[in-house]
This record gives sequence, structure tokens and C-alpha cells, in this order.
Amino acid sequence: MFDKNYLYKLELKKQEWEEKYKKLKEKDAKFVTDSEIPIKQLYTPLDIKGDYFEKVGFPGEPPYTRGPYPNMYRGRNWTMRLFSGHGTPEETNKRWKYLYENGETGFSAAVDALTFNGIDPTNPDGAPEVGTSGVPLYCIDSLFALTEDIPIDKVSVALVVEPFTCAPVCSMYFNMAKMRGYDISQLLGTTQNDILTMTVGYIPYKNSPPNHLLRLACDFIEWTVPMKNVPKWHPINFTGYNYREGGIDAIQELGFVFASACSHIDNLIERGWKIDDFVNRLAFHLAAHKDFFEEIAKYRAARRIWAKLMKDRYNAQDTRSLQFRFHVQTAGSSLTAQLPMINIVRTAIQGLEANLGGCQSLHTNSYDEAICLPSEEAALVALRTQQVISDETRITNTIDPLAGSYYIEWLTDEVEERVWKYMDKIEKVGTIDKALSTGWLYKEMRDAFHKRRIRLENGEETMLGVNKYPVSYDTVTDVFRTNEKAIEIEVNRIMKLKERRDNTKLEKILDKLRNVCEKEENVMPIVMEATKEGATVQEVCDIYREIYGIWEPPLAI
Amino acid sequence: MTDKKIRVLMSKPGIDGHWRGGIVVSRAIRDAGMELIFGGFQNVQQIAEAAIQEDVDVIGLSIHSGAHFAYTQKLLDLLKERGVLDNIMILLGGVIPAKDFAKLKEMGVANIYGPGSMTSDIVEFIQTHIKK
Repeated sequence: MFDKNYLYKLELKKQEWEEKYKKLKEKDAKFVTDSEIPIKQLYTPLDIKGDYFEKVGFPGEPPYTRGPYPNMYRGRNWTMRLFSGHGTPEETNKRWKYLYENGETGFSAAVDALTFNGIDPTNPDGAPEVGTSGVPLYCIDSLFALTEDIPIDKVSVALVVEPFTCAPVCSMYFNMAKMRGYDISQLLGTTQNDILTMTVGYIPYKNSPPNHLLRLACDFIEWTVPMKNVPKWHPINFTGYNYREGGIDAIQELGFVFASACSHIDNLIERGWKIDDFVNRLAFHLAAHKDFFEEIAKYRAARRIWAKLMKDRYNAQDTRSLQFRFHVQTAGSSLTAQLPMINIVRTAIQGLEANLGGCQSLHTNSYDEAICLPSEEAALVALRTQQVISDETRITNTIDPLAGSYYIEWLTDEVEERVWKYMDKIEKVGTIDKALSTGWLYKEMRDAFHKRRIRLENGEETMLGVNKYPVSYDTVTDVFRTNEKAIEIEVNRIMKLKERRDNTKLEKILDKLRNVCEKEENVMPIVMEATKEGATVQEVCDIYREIYGIWEPPLAI
Repeated sequence: MTDKKIRVLMSKPGIDGHWRGGIVVSRAIRDAGMELIFGGFQNVQQIAEAAIQEDVDVIGLSIHSGAHFAYTQKLLDLLKERGVLDNIMILLGGVIPAKDFAKLKEMGVANIYGPGSMTSDIVEFIQTHIKK
């Protein structure tokens, strides 16, 4: 990128400077990134390799390092989308409206553990958890209550459910929208539908084996996008965030999501679709963790890797197929129950990383999230934190403002190179379902858990209030409690639905679903029928359990 | 005083899948030379059954769902009914607000470990309080 003679002069000057530097003392610290990339004391044009057009380029043009769109935040700001849900659909609806009135620009449904696992509230194994960690969405009536008076034709909605319950919950949403008179082919939104979230990010309770989860995920992608039932929907959001939170590093985070994306793409190609039929609707969800520059380099590297992967491996022709678009969540695992107000500062810095890295949408965590679901007050502070960045800092004046920093460009290259190597390692194990069923991914997670524990216990990673300047566990901050009556309310909701629906008709539809599952055909059309007739999430999932079986993940300790 | 190792059952009551805490503590317990029985997802009946059959000294419950009172009370009642509550130390870890510690201890939980706890403290507590 620079003239040879100029670089020679620079090299001489740098050597001279380094001689002086060597005589100085450095503090006692390990100068490495969070993923343990060694970092030099100074970066100069000598560290920049390759051609500007090939490596960096222009926003909205390959290799998309500087952003997927030509205008980025000068066109419009990122979507402010807070992951939100608690108690009952009615209470969650109230919270969504509150945040919307305060400037939120997208919705995201955090569901409870029963909805995640396809368990009805009448099941004693999960009953105490109704609404405790998210909103319960067990039947179509819940979706009506969740979105009441919310303009779902104008504002995009993210449904955070995974492959096992994706078809029943999303079909309830689409049926609800149809009954309200909306044209679902125009609906905007995202389904997380991420196989790794419910297997390694979070362990599944009585879900089916990974090969079936992969197929269910692809059924949904196929039915919404190339079959054009809901073509504007993002049918999957590869959620590196959830496993990054376990302790894997930035390199592994991208390795996991890209390896997973390739397994899904290969499945859809095997079904006879062309890459450009569907790939531009696939989306990503990454973490904004503690290492400021490494995270920004990660986002830039991710865009470049994706463009190369789509072009070189899949021969994508449509330029939109090369554009990597992503949501970001700030790092929940960086928050502390000790001195919770410091969490606001942590979240603001992480939010800034995401924005400097060109995210399309952002969730900022609430300061009380180390101990409970967000209170209304804490959620508002989190929303205002993003608004400080968007409205007060003027960082949106120019696109990809850190490009050209010798350090950032060098680190982007370094992250990219390491991710390609890690992807090769995963792909040697096999497709993503194989990496799960063989236990390989569980060992990677286990190793990451312990590495992080050791780093925290020996002080190599700092957590203020915990391993540096420790203080006792906070008893001052209000603890937000979810509605204790949620169990009763949700059991009643299901009872009423069961009284109202035509059980004979539903039984016939569920029999058809059994048949579809046995033949391994796309489940979506029949699940649409079933949930319209009032099937609950568990009733659909029980058929998966019956036909596909229940899987015990090979956890490693 | 015998040479018998301290036996610990690690369990996840309910259906919430946050698993990092349970694994991290399990490894620390095993590394400290204790006998670890990893129960994974178990309902309270299964926990009580496993605790009795395996003759454990400690039950560690990993709860991140906010439903810690409900599951803990059910388990304590069941262990009491089976007449083994006095012989088993109950420890609780997970996303549990400090405000709830006093009530949980009153119910019969020996100690609670919230976010930011160090595994070395958990190991030390067990080793100090279980006399073999």
C-alpha cells in the first residue's frame, strides 16, 4: 500500500526508535488480546500488508470490510433492539411499548425456558420457571397478547427461539399476523433459529438429536425465503454471542458461526436451492466483549471472511449474498453483581465497539442483569446508553472511522487469518451436527470455561469489584421479580384454548405432522395448520420427540 | 474419621440450560480430590433419589432461572421427608440475588454462591464444614 523507498526510510527510523524504547521499563503485564494474539508496542505503515482495494475497499462494495451498505449510519442509525421478555405476554407487551415510546426501534422477544424447550406450563418439571427468564409463548393466544397495539407491519420483531421450537412459535406469530389482516410476505423480522445456542450456549432439555435440529432449522429457512412465504424475514441468526458468553474467544466465536452457516447452506443446496436464492437473508448475532480493538477488528474481519466465503466457496453471483449483516449484544458475562452501576460504563464501552464496528442492530445490557431480568428503570438506562452514542457523540459522521489505523488494519488481518485456520479445524470434525454429536464442541466449550475461570482466579483477566478492589455482593440495587402468578395465568390460557379448539380436527393435523416427520419432509406447512387450530408448542414438540427421539448432549467436565 | 472421600452431587433442577456454572464448579470439586457425581438436569425427586443412593455428603444445585426458592424448598421438604436432610449439606449457586441469601439460609441451605464467586471458596467451604 506504500511506496518501497518510503517504507525503507520508515524501517530505519523504526529501528532507531526501538533502540530507545528497549531502554525503557514496561509495566508488569501481558500485552495480548483477549484471544491471546500478541500485541506490539507500536504499529506503523510497515504492518500494513496487501492492496487497499482488495483488503479494505469501499463501504457497500466487496470485500465489505468497511460495511455492507454504502451509506451506513449516515443513511440511518443501527436498530436499537432490546432483548426483552418476562412474566406474561401482557406484561412483556407493556415493557415493549414503554421502550418503543422511549425511542427503541426494533423488538426482540426473550422467551422463558419452557418456550425454549417445548414444555407446556402444565408439566411439573418446568412449572416453577414460567415467565422467570423470559416471556412464555406456549400457544397462538400468547402471540396475540404479546403484540397487541404494536405496529408489526412497520417495526421488525426478533423471535428468539431455536430450531426445536422455531416452527411452532414462528408459525403462531405468522398465523396471528394473518388473522390480524397483515400480508406475511411483507413482514419484517428475525428468528434466531440457531442450533448451537440450544446445544452449547445453553443445554437442551428433552430436545431432539442435532441432525434433526439442523434439518428443522433448514426447513424454516427454506419455507420462509426461497419458497417465498415470508421472503423479507431473516430466518436464522447465527448467534456467536451465546457461546462466546461461555468463554470461547473472538476467533472461536467467528469459527463457530461460519462453520455452522456453511452446514446450513450445504443442506439447502442439497435440497436443490441456489446460493443466491436464500443466502442474503441469513443474519448473524455477535458479542461485544471486553477487548475494545479486538472486537472492532473482529466485525471488520467477519465481513471480509463472509464475502470471500460466499464468492470463492459458493460462487455467489448476487452482490447482496456477500454482505455480512449482524446484530450485537454487549457482554453479559462481563457484568458483575458487585458494584452494579459500573455495568453501565462497561456496557457503554462495548456498545461503542459495536457501533464503531458497523453493526446493524444493537442490544445494550441493563446494569442489573448479573442478578435478575432487567427492571424497567435499568432497561431505560440501557436504551439511553445507545442513544448517547447515536445522538450525542457524533461518531456517525463518517463511515468505518477506525479504518486506516495501523493497529486496527493489522489486527483485522490477524483475526481473519486465525479464523480461517480455526474453521479448517472444525470442518475436519465434520458438519455442525457431527461436531455436536461427537462431543467435539462440548470439549471446546469445557476448555474455554476452565480457561476463563483460571484467568479470573489468577487475576490475568480483571473484573473490578470481583478480583480487583473486591467488594461484597450488592444488596442495595432493587431486584426485579417476575410475576409469581404467571404459572396460573399461563395454565388458564392453555385451558381456555383447549376448551375452544376442535380437538378432533387438531388430532388429524397432528397425525399428518407425524407422517411428515417420518418422511423427513418440511414441517412448516403442517405446523402452520396445527398452531392455527390451537396446537401448543409442547404438542408439536412431543411429535418431534416421538419420531426423532430425545437427545442427551455429551457434556464434558 | 475415615479416608472416605467427600461425595458431591451436582445437579440442575428444572429445565433452564445455563450450564457453565455447574461445569466450572464440578471441575473444581473433582480437582480438589472429592468424588463428583454429575447429575445434570434432574427433577427434585431424582435429586433426592440420587443423593440417597449415592450416599452423598453435599448436594450442589445450579440455578440460573430465578426459580431458586421453588426448587430449593421442594427438595428440602423431600429430603426431610426421607429423613436424610440432616446428613446432607445443601449448596446453591447461580444467578441468585444477595437479598435472597438470608431466607435461603433460614430454609436450610448451608451457603449460596452468586455471580463472581470463586471456586476456591466453594471447595474450602466444603472441606471445612464436612468433617470426615
